[in-house]
Amino acid sequence: MIGHLVLWLDDRLGAASFLRKAMRKAFPDHWAFMLGEVALYSYLALLGSGIYLTFFYTASGDHIVYHGTYRPLDGVPMSEAYASILRISFDVPAGLLIRQFHHWAALVFAAAISVHLLRIFFTGAFRRPREINWLIGVTLLLLAMAIGFTGYSLPDDLLSGTGLRIAYSILLSIPVVGTWSAFLLFGGVYPGADILRRFLILHIFLLQALIAALIGVHLFLIWHQKHTQFRGPGRTERNVVGSPLWPNYTMKSIGLALVIFSVLALLGGLAQINPVWLYGPYEAWQASSPAQPDWYLGWAEGALRLWPAWEIRLFGRLVANPFFPSVLFPVVFFLVLYLWPWIERWITGDARPHHLLDRARDCPWRSAVGAWAVAFGIALTLAGSNDVIANLLGVPVEIVTVYFRVMLGIAPILAAVLTYFVCHGLQERDRQPERRRIRAIVRVNARGGYEEETLPTPDSPAPEPGGGESGTGS
Amino acid sequence: MALVRACLVALGLASAAGLLLLVRPHRASGAVPPRSQAQAVERGRALFDRFCASCHGSGGLGTSQGPPLLGVGAAAVDFMLSTGRMPLAVATQQPTVQRQTARFSRAEIDALVAYVTSLYPGGPPVPRVHPERGDLVRGNRLFTSNCAPCHSAAAVGDAVGGGAVAPSLRQSTATQIAEAVRVGPGVMPRFGPEALDQHDLDSLVRYLLALRTLPNPGGLGLGFVGPVAEGFVAWIAGLGLIVLAIRWIGTTT
Amino acid sequence: MLLRALAAAVRAVAAILTLGDIVRQERPGPASREAAPAPPAPDARASALVAGALLVSIAATIAFGAAYALGAQTQLLAGTSGVSLAALAVAFIVWGQRLLQQEQITEERAPEPSPEEARRGAEEALARGEREISRRGALGWLLAGALGSLGIAALFPVRSLGPGPDRLLFHTKWRAGAPLVGIDGKPIRAADLLIGSVATVFPEGYVGDPSSQALLIRVEPGLLELPPAQLAGAPQGFVAYSKICTHAGCPVGLYRARTHELVCPCHQSTFDVLAGARPVFGPATRPLPQLPLRLGADGRLRALGDFTEPVGPGFWGMP
Repeated sequence: MIGHLVLWLDDRLGAASFLRKAMRKAFPDHWAFMLGEVALYSYLALLGSGIYLTFFYTASGDHIVYHGTYRPLDGVPMSEAYASILRISFDVPAGLLIRQFHHWAALVFAAAISVHLLRIFFTGAFRRPREINWLIGVTLLLLAMAIGFTGYSLPDDLLSGTGLRIAYSILLSIPVVGTWSAFLLFGGVYPGADILRRFLILHIFLLQALIAALIGVHLFLIWHQKHTQFRGPGRTERNVVGSPLWPNYTMKSIGLALVIFSVLALLGGLAQINPVWLYGPYEAWQASSPAQPDWYLGWAEGALRLWPAWEIRLFGRLVANPFFPSVLFPVVFFLVLYLWPWIERWITGDARPHHLLDRARDCPWRSAVGAWAVAFGIALTLAGSNDVIANLLGVPVEIVTVYFRVMLGIAPILAAVLTYFVCHGLQERDRQPERRRIRAIVRVNARGGYEEETLPTPDSPAPEPGGGESGTGS
Repeated sequence: MALVRACLVALGLASAAGLLLLVRPHRASGAVPPRSQAQAVERGRALFDRFCASCHGSGGLGTSQGPPLLGVGAAAVDFMLSTGRMPLAVATQQPTVQRQTARFSRAEIDALVAYVTSLYPGGPPVPRVHPERGDLVRGNRLFTSNCAPCHSAAAVGDAVGGGAVAPSLRQSTATQIAEAVRVGPGVMPRFGPEALDQHDLDSLVRYLLALRTLPNPGGLGLGFVGPVAEGFVAWIAGLGLIVLAIRWIGTTT
Repeated sequence: MLLRALAAAVRAVAAILTLGDIVRQERPGPASREAAPAPPAPDARASALVAGALLVSIAATIAFGAAYALGAQTQLLAGTSGVSLAALAVAFIVWGQRLLQQEQITEERAPEPSPEEARRGAEEALARGEREISRRGALGWLLAGALGSLGIAALFPVRSLGPGPDRLLFHTKWRAGAPLVGIDGKPIRAADLLIGSVATVFPEGYVGDPSSQALLIRVEPGLLELPPAQLAGAPQGFVAYSKICTHAGCPVGLYRARTHELVCPCHQSTFDVLAGARPVFGPATRPLPQLPLRLGADGRLRALGDFTEPVGPGFWGMP
């Protein structure tokens, strides 16, 4: 039956020759290569659940009085957006499941992209000819953070609304164009005219289209350039060894997709996320603690909390405090990240194409840089929850803040140095495998001396019997 | 023999008379027969001298280790004792906000309250709360506006800086909540009847009591800490399970 | 029964796999080389596992449908759908790993740069087109100019997204004589606030206005350490400050009454109420602007004017 379909398509598109090659395409089976797929399938989960949610969401900041299922808010004025989220959560059958599924998928999506990026970095997969895909991937990371932020701000609850205010202030702090950019994006002085609807457009339309298009190009480039692979028997820079796309890899990939959907479905109904009814509708003069963004913006939150009370005046004009941790630092960091393939090329002088991957230990200095960045990112992210940590440990918040400031300096360096030496150590061990096996047996003989019997290895035959003799025997 | 008996009786009568002079009518405890009120005050004095005077001074005048109890009011004493914040196990400690079992029984606490207020009348009385008369929605709004910034939206508590913590309210009694509002223990501000009247108090308590029994329609509450807990769960349970799966599906070469 | 279902399933798979057979019968081109696929050993256990997993999945899906129809309880829906998807996942993965011919194929990579003549051809085609256009000299420059200016003009509609930065950055709704009201709109009297208490206040008629939000705090008279001009606006221990944090704009909702410190929940900026809300910890650099107050004979509090400085976080044109 499927054969008929193929022939039907071929009559119209000439697809058979493409399909023949496509189905026999080799996809390496290493588990680390599936991390990108995890991100892809999380994205599909987001797309499906998001389309469903859009049917029920109202992107309006106009206030109504709520009369609905959630009694503690009955009669309370709130935005239509917030009310629609309450309706989804309490009145639409399976609405809460899909809403939570969507939010968990967003967190897993960002986590998968991050781990995937780390795999690409530590294995050197960004090297020529894959620099374009690297640029696309870093852009996808930024877009994922942006689409996540616009998404969780849509319910117009007290927690996300506080984050909106911070975003406005960050825009304000940009020199020269700050006030303009804030006023134009938000439609005036905070809270602005129509930010919910604008965020909806960004979330379901503009950012969505960009992500979908970039994922498409990303996958096409992988297809066209063929996947990289680790070194191994039969693998060279000139080939790629793996399972055929059809049916083997397809079956396993569908299985992975189902695992992801299953995990997200279980989380979506068994672990409560973003209970906006507890936070209450957003009012610009209310706040609650603890106040953190979703995890993938935790680094930004930590940067804002750790950066000291410094700001400068340039030509008599104020460059406000949030500019440095929230604009300058990410711009510099992501610039370095974007340019990394060329930075590495400049450092190593290696401009050859690479299709065989490094293991992390094969390039100790790069792995050390990566470890530095990971430790830095983790420290910043944890610093964003300094009040939660303070409450948990019974330590004053001020101490936790100072601790993280210190950690931000020394932990990444320690991580980098440790990684560097561990990589060298692993390389050393790889070079001398025979060290790991017992090479000889030493016996004490009757006269009190020592005898050594060298054991045969596959590479060296057994030596003369009797071995060497030493000791105190007479 | 008869003389001794007569002296004892005289002593007893004199003490009773003296006590009666010291006892003031205690409004908060309502119509209490003078004799049992006097007993309460006497018992309270004994307890105070034994457990409290070392820091708060004899007669509650204060020492270098503990503040004077001048005009603190019944609510403050009852709150500190019933939540176990007082007495301190170690004199140099600061009162902790973590819930502890009260050191004293209800009768003993009442006695201490009676004693301290007999020394220093005034200050907020122990509030009477009637959650069933309160309005759930009003309580929610009051809590969000006044309390959630420190105690968190789900009343699980949070650090408020300076080494201070706004504790979880999920196990506090109705009276303790109302007392804290009126007294402002620790670093907490206080709210008098002009700011939050009786109906406000009833509503606030009603909402806080309802919070504990409100079902979590979404599943496990994850401590109600918000995105921090959710991030950990997403990484460990979410991505963690998925990575286990891809280790199974894929190869390691 | 089970074996028959299994046979049917295997036949269906074979039908799908026939496609692969068609493909493999073609002579492999020079671009790909294939190792001889190993014949699949019969794996009854794997088949049974797959069959079992598929049955579990079907049952769980039915349970999901039932749960949906009977009230759509979130945890039940999640449990049934999660189990159904997980079981189906197990089926696919075990099938892919144990019931299919396992083979490794090797594909040759085409060298990425195109052959030399193709590269030269492309370069020449580009260059020729460029020459054709730029040969016209002035016309080419005009074309560039027109396209460029059109591109810039396309950005103009962005300007309509909002008003330009205006006086609202510098002023709020507070005016001289504006009575202070609480969040419920009731006017604030001195007796409404105890020492050690705090209240969020707005100008009358503007309850909820985001930039006008202020905190009214009552401290012991005499504790305030303000310069005389500021002290004049803090009568009898009543002092009011903007509630908008000067760091990133969050409402400064936490008040440590004993130590007279306001704390912002977002990044823990801490402000000393007695010293003009000067920042003492955290990233805030500027004090919370004060709202000068007047205590009337009727006991009501009124503002003496707008805040002493622009409220909220800093920006480029802030004085």
